[in-house]
Amino acid sequence: MRSSTYTVVFVSTVAIVCSLLLSTAATLLRERQDRNEALSKKQNILKALGVTKKLDSPAVDMFFADHVTLFAIDLEGNIDPEADAAQLDMEVEDKKTEASSRRYPIYRCTIENEVTYCVPIIGRGLWSKLYGYLSLESDLNTVKGLTFYKHGETPGLGAEIEKDWFLNNFLGKKINDQTGTFISIEVVKGKAADAYAGNEEKLSHAVDGISGATITSRGVTKMLHEDLTKYVPYFKQLEAN
Amino acid sequence: MADATEAAEPLFSTKNRKTFKDPFMVNNPITLQVLGICSALAVTAQLKPSLVMGIAVVFVVACANVTISMMRRFIPGRVRIIVEMTVVATLVILVDQVLRAYAFEVSKQLSLFVGLIITNCIVLGRLEAFAMGNKVWPSFLDGLGNGLSYAAVIAIVGFFRELMGSGQVLGFKVVPQALYDNLGYTDNGLMVLAPGAFIILGLLIWVQRTVSGHVED
Repeated sequence: MRSSTYTVVFVSTVAIVCSLLLSTAATLLRERQDRNEALSKKQNILKALGVTKKLDSPAVDMFFADHVTLFAIDLEGNIDPEADAAQLDMEVEDKKTEASSRRYPIYRCTIENEVTYCVPIIGRGLWSKLYGYLSLESDLNTVKGLTFYKHGETPGLGAEIEKDWFLNNFLGKKINDQTGTFISIEVVKGKAADAYAGNEEKLSHAVDGISGATITSRGVTKMLHEDLTKYVPYFKQLEAN
Repeated sequence: MADATEAAEPLFSTKNRKTFKDPFMVNNPITLQVLGICSALAVTAQLKPSLVMGIAVVFVVACANVTISMMRRFIPGRVRIIVEMTVVATLVILVDQVLRAYAFEVSKQLSLFVGLIITNCIVLGRLEAFAMGNKVWPSFLDGLGNGLSYAAVIAIVGFFRELMGSGQVLGFKVVPQALYDNLGYTDNGLMVLAPGAFIILGLLIWVQRTVSGHVED
């Protein structure tokens, strides 16, 4: 049996060597990883905007330069030209105590005179935070696309939120009712057609839930409502003009 | 650190070759020892993640075996499992970081499961059973053999699950469209889910044991 001192020294050495190795690797690879994340984020914005073709890195940048503008708005719906929209972090903004100082990023995409808007949505699922984008048609009411690009939900259950069968349910749904009041979209338990049978109005704001992932589904409902609310004043201003 | 005092053994002696080859047939970690089943079920819905997972495990087992074998004389017996886990965890995080930098899409698919290599029984099993008591070179061969045989099994499972579950291999459609249109062929949805892997794995174990003649005691 070796002495306790030896054991402690040995284990400490192993721990230090391992942590040095890992921090070196993490530092060296950071730049490349960040670039991948940024590209994946942009690809997801494109997917939300309905661009189905998978573009590579230069093509994505070119598309953004040609068609997409990013800017920041405040909670009253005014554009803030001062704010650096690319650096805005929705979660940081949410925590700011003064609601009037919060700024939120929004993407405007123009393709052949058709204007669509894309907003980030962030919320909580069962295990993890869910990050995604939602885009609206030019009527600012109909959903054009939805994606989730980062989450840590259970594969096969909560992780189904990133699958096309789930996301496609959202296409064509409305965020406002017929009078133009903001309602958001609800992920129901089970089939939307069963939950709101015969109620066309309700059905236009509801999508099928994921069985076995009730909490994740609820999280999606909540994040859609909370995050879209932030942009409603801006949409109202756009309509008024 | 090499055992210079002992008689030099040729690199590919019969014993060493046996160390490398045994895991494939006679002592396969999945089909015989039935280890590493969790990940074998989880990542094999398609061939590509199976292959990447296989490569990652080969790297981790081989490197962990070498590292532990080099340190085996210095590791205090009381804390050996902790030291083994530390080495394995370090290697796994390294693999995860590299994947995130160079194979982002795949790493997104595997994310959770790469981390789970740490708990893959095959890795710790080889360290305890082999690397702690053998020289560096045989340990490397042992790790390579076990890793590759694991990779081979999950690649076979992944191949059949993707073929039968979605009619594709590595994302390319191989089942002709005419078959769907004219003969009413449909993909087997069960194969995409975990039970599909159980069925394929079961058949594989059956085939393997028939060939090798292995009988449970």
